[in-house]
Order: sequence, then C-alpha cells, then structure tokens
Amino acid sequence: MSLFLHYLSLPYLLEGIELTLQVTALGLFGGLVLGLILASMQLSRFWWLAAFARGYTVIFRGTPLILQMVFAYDALPHIGIKLPAVLAAGLALACNEAPFIAEMLRAGVLGVDRGQLLAGQALGMTPGVLMRRIIAPQAIRTMIPAFGNEAVSALKNSSLASVIAVQELTLRSTQLASSTFDFFSIFFASGLLYLVLTSAVSVIQLVIEWRLDLDRARRPRKLADYLPWRRVELATGLALSDTVVPALASEPEPVAEPLPAASSESRAKRAAMIARNNVAVEVKDLAKAYGPQTVLGGLNLTVRIGEVVALLGPSGSGKSTLLRCINHLENWDVGTVQVGGRRLGFHGDGKRLSARAIANERASVGVGMVFQQFNLFSHLTAKENIAGPLRWVHGMARVDADRRAYELLERVGLSHRADALPRHLSGGQQQRVAIARALAPNPSVLLLDEPTSALDPELVNEVLEVIRRLVIDDGLTMIISTHQIRFADEVADRVAFLSGGAIVEEGPAHDVLSHPRNPLTARFLSVMGADRITEAAR
Amino acid sequence: MQKWSLSGATRASLSWRTAAMAAVLVGGSLLSVGAQAAPAGCAALAEKYPDWKGKTLVNAINPHTPGYEAIDPKDPSKYVGFDIDLGEEIGECLGFKLTYKAVTFAALLTTLASGQADIVISDIYATEERAKAGDFITYSKVFDGVLVAKDNPKKITGINTTMCGAAAAENTGYVEVPLVQALIPQCKAEGKAEPTLQLYDNNANCIQAILAGRADTYINDVNTVDNAVKAYPDKLEKAIAVTIPYSVGIAVPKDKPKFRDAVFAALTEIYKSGDQLALLKKWGLDPNNLKEPGLLTVN
Repeated sequence: MSLFLHYLSLPYLLEGIELTLQVTALGLFGGLVLGLILASMQLSRFWWLAAFARGYTVIFRGTPLILQMVFAYDALPHIGIKLPAVLAAGLALACNEAPFIAEMLRAGVLGVDRGQLLAGQALGMTPGVLMRRIIAPQAIRTMIPAFGNEAVSALKNSSLASVIAVQELTLRSTQLASSTFDFFSIFFASGLLYLVLTSAVSVIQLVIEWRLDLDRARRPRKLADYLPWRRVELATGLALSDTVVPALASEPEPVAEPLPAASSESRAKRAAMIARNNVAVEVKDLAKAYGPQTVLGGLNLTVRIGEVVALLGPSGSGKSTLLRCINHLENWDVGTVQVGGRRLGFHGDGKRLSARAIANERASVGVGMVFQQFNLFSHLTAKENIAGPLRWVHGMARVDADRRAYELLERVGLSHRADALPRHLSGGQQQRVAIARALAPNPSVLLLDEPTSALDPELVNEVLEVIRRLVIDDGLTMIISTHQIRFADEVADRVAFLSGGAIVEEGPAHDVLSHPRNPLTARFLSVMGADRITEAAR
Repeated sequence: MQKWSLSGATRASLSWRTAAMAAVLVGGSLLSVGAQAAPAGCAALAEKYPDWKGKTLVNAINPHTPGYEAIDPKDPSKYVGFDIDLGEEIGECLGFKLTYKAVTFAALLTTLASGQADIVISDIYATEERAKAGDFITYSKVFDGVLVAKDNPKKITGINTTMCGAAAAENTGYVEVPLVQALIPQCKAEGKAEPTLQLYDNNANCIQAILAGRADTYINDVNTVDNAVKAYPDKLEKAIAVTIPYSVGIAVPKDKPKFRDAVFAALTEIYKSGDQLALLKKWGLDPNNLKEPGLLTVN
C-alpha cells in the first residue's frame, strides 16, 4: 500500500500525464478539424468528395491505431516528414479519431429536423446561416455525450504512443516496473491516474451539457420546481391554460369574435377590387414528376395582390408541392413560377441560381411560409424564432428585431410566452408563433401549407382566428392549402380544387363550395362534410 | 495544468521544446551519471572525427534491462546502466552528448533506420540478419541465462530437448526466438510435444509471465536473468548459463560509415584504457564479457 502511494505521487509518473494530455489534445482537436472536413465532404454535393471521404474512413477506421502510430513515426521519415514523437503520435491519433468524429458530426447534422431546415430556407437563410444558426447549435447539443465518449477513448488510446517512444504515463510505468520489479504497485497507481483523468473528462462533459441545457438557461430553477407535483402541473397546465379554458387563463388571449359572414355584395365588391390589382404569383404549365409518378401536371394559377386563394383537394393531389414550388423549396421539371414579376430561382437567361443566391432572392422577394408541422427552431425561444431570422437574413439590429418580434407576438396573442421554447408551447401556440415568424419580414405573399392539420381539434380555432385577422387587417396575399372547408369559405376569395396534380375546378370560393360543378369536387366536399356551407355563409 | 519540472521529460522526446533548454538539462544529468574522464587517445580522435563535436545525438534504447539500461529507481528521470555509461563515454570521447528514446526491443533498429535515432546501444546482439538494418560495432561476448520458476519444475537444462512441451517467454525480436523454434523438429523427432513461444514487449513482461505461471522459461542475457533472480529469490532461479555464438553490438546507420568508424575508434580507445572493464565491474557484470571491439556489417 505504501509502495502504491509512493508511485501514485511520484513526480516521474505525474510528468507522464503531461505528455498523455498533449497527445490526447492533439488527437482530439486534430481529429475534430479532420472530422469536420471529412463530414462536410461526405455531406457534399460532389460524389467524388464523398467517395474520397468514404475511402479515408474505410482505411483509418479499419486499421489498428498502433500500426498508424508506427507508420507516422517510422514510415513518414522515409518521405522526408520527420515529426517529433509527440506530434507523430498526435497525428496518428487525430487521423484515427477523425472518421469517428466525422460520423458523430454527420449524425448530429442529419439528426436536425428536416422541417426546420425547410423553414430556415423559406425564411431566406443561406446554407451558411442555416448551418451556423440552426443546424450547428442543435447538432452540437446532441453530440456532446458522444464527444465525451470519444475524448475518453482518445485519452486511453494515447497510451499506444508508448510504442513510439513518447514518454507518456504508460511507457513510464512499464520502464519503472522494469527497473524496480514493483510491477503491480506501479500499474495500479498508473491505472488510478488514468481513472482520474477520464473522470475529469466526464465531469467536463456533464458541465458542458448542463451549461448548454436550454431549459436551464430559460428558466432558473426555483424551489417550487423541486416540489413533487410540479412536473404534473407543468405538463397539463400548459395545455389547459391556453386552449380548453381560455377564459380562465390569466394571460391575454385573442378574443375569438366571429367574423361577420360576408354577404354576396361585399364578396362581389372585393372580387372586383382584386381584379384590378397586379399579379402577385403566376404559375404557368408547372409540371413535376417523381419517376413515373406525376405530382404536378401542367398546372396554371394566377393570384393577384391582396387575394386569398384556398387550395383544396385530397392528400397527394399536389397542394403542398405547388406551395413549395412557388417558394422554390422544390425544383420542378417544366413551367415557370413568377412572384412579383420575378422568376424565382433563375438568372435572367434561365440558368438555375445557386442555393445561396436563391436564399437571398427569397428574402428580397418576400414569400413567407407556414408549415403543417410548424417547424419552429426548437433551440430558440418564441421571440428568437421571430427575431433571429430578421437579424441573420435581413441584417436588422437586435433592438429593432426584438421590438418587431414582441409586436408580432402581441398580435398572435402570445406576448406572455415570448421566452418559452417551442417544446413548452401547445401545437396551436407553436403555429401562431410560426405565423408571426413568417410575417416578420413583411412578405408580399404568405403560403400556408395545411396550417391546422397537425393540431388537435380544440386547438384549430385559435390558429384559424389568427389567419382570419390577417385577411381582414392586413389584406395580405395568401395561398392556403387546407381541409377546413368552412374556413376556406369564410376567408378565401377564390378556391382551387386540385386533383392528380392539376386544378380541376376553380372559382369564387362560395360558388365553388356551395355549387361544385366538377363531380370530383362535389364528391370531395360531401366527404369532407361541407354540406352545411350554404347555411353557414348566408 | 500543473507546472512540473522538465528534467524528466527532456530525456526522451520533447525535441519540440527549445534545444537550448534540453542541452542544459541533459548536460546536467550527464554529469550526475558519473561518466569517467575520456581516455587520452580521444583528443586525437576528436580531431580526426570533428563532425559530431558539440552535437546532441539520439540513442534508442529498450530500457527494461537493469544493469544495462533501465531508469534509475531512485531518480526515474535518468537512465542508468553499463550501456548508458559506455555510450556517454563514447560521446565524451567524440564530443557529442546523448538523449534517449525509449522504444520496444523490436523497434530499436526500425527507429534507427527511419532516422528517429542516431545510434542504438541497448544490449542488442549483433546478427547477420540485424546487420541488414544497421552496421554493428561489437563490444561484448554473450552468455545467456535460462530463467525458470523456483526449483525448476520442468527440469530444463538448457536450450535443448528438455524444453520440449515447455512455454518459453521471449521478447519480440530476440535472437533466442529462432533458437527455441529450432527445437521444434528435434522434439518432433523424439516424439515429444513442441515448445511454444510467448512473445512480449519487454523484459518485465517476460519475467511476469513466469511469475504468473504462464511461461516455464525465459532465456536472456545472463546478467538480466541474475537480476531477476535477485529481485524474486523465492520464486525464480537460473537453471543454467549457456554460450550463444553472438556478440553484443552498438548499431549505427548503414549510410554513415564515417560515424561507424568514429564510434569504433572511440570504443577501441575505451577498451584499451581499461575503462570498459571498469564499467563491467561497476555494474556487477561478469568481466568475462569483455571483448575487443569488432565490426559486423553486411551489404
């Protein structure tokens, strides 16, 4: 025991820790840099970059580290690269760690919800901004435990540097054992030293996890949080307070005043006014197919400024695809899409723009989009979901962006939830934030892709109410795909019924919905229980 | 990180630290190793071979052989032993200093060949096979000891058919490995089981293999075997000492004949002056090991 303690405190062994840490640090940070390069190569659009990265991974993940160390130390000098032992060991460890770290990074990046990427693109974020502001912050959070693992394994693997004469802890232990014959005391002591080092890594990992914990940052822990019933109260309270019993909620909620049903005269007057307006969106002969399956078959649609168009039709009829094409979130095969007179996504000569240029164009033309699944950025608060894109895409100052965010949250009745994370909001609240986010840069057109389809029935109305207000108060140009027939009748000027990727019937909303001429439309409406339209909109 | 003294670390591989600091520290530890004053003939040699004067060369060693090269248990920042003293005296003779690079036995010559070391003085036997990787200046006869467990349970009497069926621990790359392998046909001819080989990284692991009952014998330099018996008198014993037809040699790169000649000349001076014999005695090694320096090179 006394021998064990003697070796545990022997400066000779403790000095070995310094080299162990140097090799580990070189391996980890070198591996991180190489891993970043590898991961971006693998995620790249160019197949040969991905293939090269694949090949590298196969080689360096498939051969033992000990051979790589010997190679870096003994083979590289033959081609004129004579690295000091510590650097050679660091290089070998870095090359070995890189494929593992690259896979971690790739998993982290691919693990970020695709919907959020679409939302970011729709907001006009360039690939760079998207990576920096949306993907990286979320990916890093999910990667920390894996990175902690990797750090521990790199620390242990650094012991293999002993084969190439790096005087780290393991080599010192074996030499000491050889000269003193105190084999076990020495190896127990160095084992304990390794254990202390790996425990330190674990502690660092936990501290980082704690510091990056979004809930910690938003809501300082209070005594009440530790009370046993707190969790239950949190879970149910949120849903209850804003939805089922809005009247009881202490916070201000949008008052759901029923709209005055539009009379036929006022509808006609509005239609005449819109007809004089300029064209906001013009879709011509739009066609798109996935292999043999036609998604859009030569579709034409013109929407004028201030007009609200509802897209109806069964699932798979092409409504969502059409909306995404208008925003150029998807490519198509044939046809043109013009927004505000500009061909989105193409140069004047018809050449396709880069992803970055399309993003900038989206931001300047101003096409807002609201998704079925809300697609809020889950690492940002409600306020930041709105203010962030204003700063990153439109270069707005922080104060101005915040003011705009609060203003919009106020309008959708959520100013009291400004600092809540999306996961702490109900579906209806999330969709209201998403609408506020889409409105923030003052888009010229707002696209809503089944904005209430993912909501529980009792949450649908709060969202519809917000959209109604937009129509009345803002006179915004909107294209809404929806299954809410009655709502379409209330807010839409025009209804277009899609089937099989084409518009089979379109016309003034009330006419089409109450007297469909196309049998497909009629059947769809009756299935959707729209028979009561006539009475409702009288 | 804690700020530790550098003296231990400079011994090996921190060549990225400032060279000046390394030189000062290594110089300091040189004195403490107690190298003897260089023989008189060295003055002429230093003039004839001036290329290494003031240089610091790297000596690759496998420091697991107490008596020849191992760290000093009292001050682990130093290497001590016969080979260490001999190397430093050669250095003193030619005007260079040595730093040490600890590698596995099997890596001694590859380290030299890759240019990561300038010289190997590590109780390595000069064989024709090894001379393909480096030129050897031989300086010591070889007597091997056969280490066995106390009371020699397998009744091993040498590198002969008494080893049939036994497990022999050896270091990777040791010349004893082919000697044991050569017993296989003999054992077969006598209808006995073949001897098996366990290959380890260093001396300590081979000794542990016998202590743990994994191996029956370990054949190595007799002084190494004696030291092991001294450390574990209740558990180990030397079955016998045998003569091996090799010499111990200093290895130098094949492409530096001038350096080889300089080392050879310096070693000859040390041999003639009686310093080499004195060093054998200092480290408790058998004076019968003494041998006039020779050369072993193959093309």
